[in-house]
Amino acid sequence: MLLRLMPLEGYFNNYEKLTPTQIKVGLAKLWLDRPMAVQLGHFWQDTLRGELGVSNKYRVNYPIGKIIASKAPLSIQIGLMAVTLAFLLGMPLGILMARSARGHSRLKIWDRFGTVVVVVIQAVPASVYYLFIQIYGTELLGKFFPLPTLFARDNPLTWILPVFSLSLSTMAWSAMWIRRYMADESTKDYVLLARAKGVPAAAISRRHIFRNAFVPLVQSVPTTILLTLMGSLYVESRFSIPGMGGLLVDVIKRQDNTMVQALVLVYSGISIVGLLLGDVAMALLDPRVRFAGKGDAR
Amino acid sequence: MAVDTDRDGRGAILSVRSLNVDFTLRGARHRVLRDVSLDVRRGENLAIVGESGSGKSVFCKSLMGLLDANGRVESGEILYEGADLATLTEKEWLKIRGKEIAIVMQDPMTSLNPLIPIGRQITEALRLHRGLKGKAAREAAMGYLRDVGIAQPELRFKQYPHEFSGGMRQRAVIAIAIACRPKILICDEPTTAIDVTIQAQILDLLLSLQQKYQLTTIYITHDLGVVARVADRVAVMYAGDFVEIGTTEEIFYDPRHPYVWALLSSMPQLAKKGENLYSIEGSPPDLSSPLAGDAFAPRNRYALKIDFVRRPPLFSLTETHQARSWLLDPRAPKHERPETKGGGAG
Ligand SMILES: Nc1ncnc2c1ncn2[C@@H]1O[C@H](COP(=O)(O)OP(=O)(O)OP(=O)(O)O)[C@@H](O)[C@H]1O
Ligand SMILES: [Mg+2]
Repeated sequence: MLLRLMPLEGYFNNYEKLTPTQIKVGLAKLWLDRPMAVQLGHFWQDTLRGELGVSNKYRVNYPIGKIIASKAPLSIQIGLMAVTLAFLLGMPLGILMARSARGHSRLKIWDRFGTVVVVVIQAVPASVYYLFIQIYGTELLGKFFPLPTLFARDNPLTWILPVFSLSLSTMAWSAMWIRRYMADESTKDYVLLARAKGVPAAAISRRHIFRNAFVPLVQSVPTTILLTLMGSLYVESRFSIPGMGGLLVDVIKRQDNTMVQALVLVYSGISIVGLLLGDVAMALLDPRVRFAGKGDAR
Repeated sequence: MAVDTDRDGRGAILSVRSLNVDFTLRGARHRVLRDVSLDVRRGENLAIVGESGSGKSVFCKSLMGLLDANGRVESGEILYEGADLATLTEKEWLKIRGKEIAIVMQDPMTSLNPLIPIGRQITEALRLHRGLKGKAAREAAMGYLRDVGIAQPELRFKQYPHEFSGGMRQRAVIAIAIACRPKILICDEPTTAIDVTIQAQILDLLLSLQQKYQLTTIYITHDLGVVARVADRVAVMYAGDFVEIGTTEEIFYDPRHPYVWALLSSMPQLAKKGENLYSIEGSPPDLSSPLAGDAFAPRNRYALKIDFVRRPPLFSLTETHQARSWLLDPRAPKHERPETKGGGAG
């Protein structure tokens, strides 16, 4: 709605050259000359039909839905790979840290090491380490196989660095939180009782501590995945990946109002879905949540 | 020292000898158990009483190798079935915990894993120690649920802890504890966190299980009412040491250590009607510096000079009754013992 208060130029490709009547017709096409309430009603109808309208600057009169459809799959692919990699690396790192933090001083070095990694990743701006990864990573991998710096869709080798770059912050995030939650859980009475039953330390970590520590995390996992999908902005521009990442910034800069509106809509939709999925995942893992909703499951 | 044999000819199943346990806290060492010795007799119900922080839980945790990471057994022996538990490695402990010695903890609301169904928390132990799997484990677990008085075990087996009431959870914890047929069951304040109306039921349950499975039970408690109800023998702990050990009658009716006098007169159940309730003055000693003499001396109205200098030896009063107080030395001056005998209890 706020977009409506923006200058009208945003709805046209070549505002300066148009005559007042042409503007009127253009506005009428977009229903922009009607009262606010009517505009809103129309907007909802279109949205519910999945109709996002057409772009008017980025690619003139090209349906926005198609623009997104052409770019999203690549972003989603890269994003999902990055998130998978992040959890594959982050979870074991966090578990290792949590276990060694509790153990002997000899093991504590792992905790220190992990903490350093996490802190560095979080403290250094993403754009800086992306650059480093791009430069040194290309060089390093280049020793084994010929590797172009930029992304090429059909060369799987060129996927490695962007995916890795994109996964780093999520990896640090997940390692840090799983470590913290596991450290919290490991002081709980039920862990002591499990030890008193004679359950070996590794099984306690896995069966008891990890699962309980994962519950508070799981709620934010889908959101994290979606954020990674959207947040690929730097990485995509660094490696020149033709994905969704730069799109929003691009269209805002060019005042393509219909495009901005459509993208914001898509992103907020995605966030809501993420929050929902988080709650669903949490309910799947934690019987207390599940039963609170259904009353009684059995 | 030879293993004691009491009047019934029951030997000691567990002998703790001169056990010292230290905790390191911010670089400083705290001696929490000081040269503790105690025999636990096969098949008995032993109660350990003492004020908060005296080291009761630490004592029991050291019997299971469950001391917190900053604590360790400095010296001493824990003899069980010919082995010294104090020297076991973590791997060797796995064969003792749950299988030989099991524990029921204070708070049933927190001592079960909230994400695992009750049944699986029992079968986890069965699989580890008795190799039972699948249907066999299920059947056995349901048998134990029935044993601890949980109705509809088929239904309860699949339920999660939050679907159980506090008393039911404690029953489930007890089922886990007895599932591997331990020889010794430690109950660390088993009823403190439970509704008063159910406390007696839980105690009766523990007593009946003790009979059924011929357990040796160690109760930790603050509550002399619990002691009177369940214990054959009582060991009184003060500042990391047992100051008096005897049968329940001996402790209630013929206490010898000034701390036990004070403890008994501070219990509401035992005080006479119309009398003021006695509270022990002062506070327990600071454990970060070594203690000289009798740890209770600074709070002791009857303290002798020597109490501040040398630790009293354990004086034997009867075959079953020992106390650690210089007042029992033949050279000690005559002293008036306060009236502590309770009417109702014992
Ligand atoms: N991990 C630890 N680090 C340092 N000190 C500890 C630790 N665990 C226990 N202690 C100390 O050991 C002493 C005995 O504690 P313990 O828990 O055995 O007392 P308790 O007799 O069981 O008391 P309560 O009746 O309150 O349960 C206390 O002074 C406590 O501060
Ligand atoms: Mg305790």
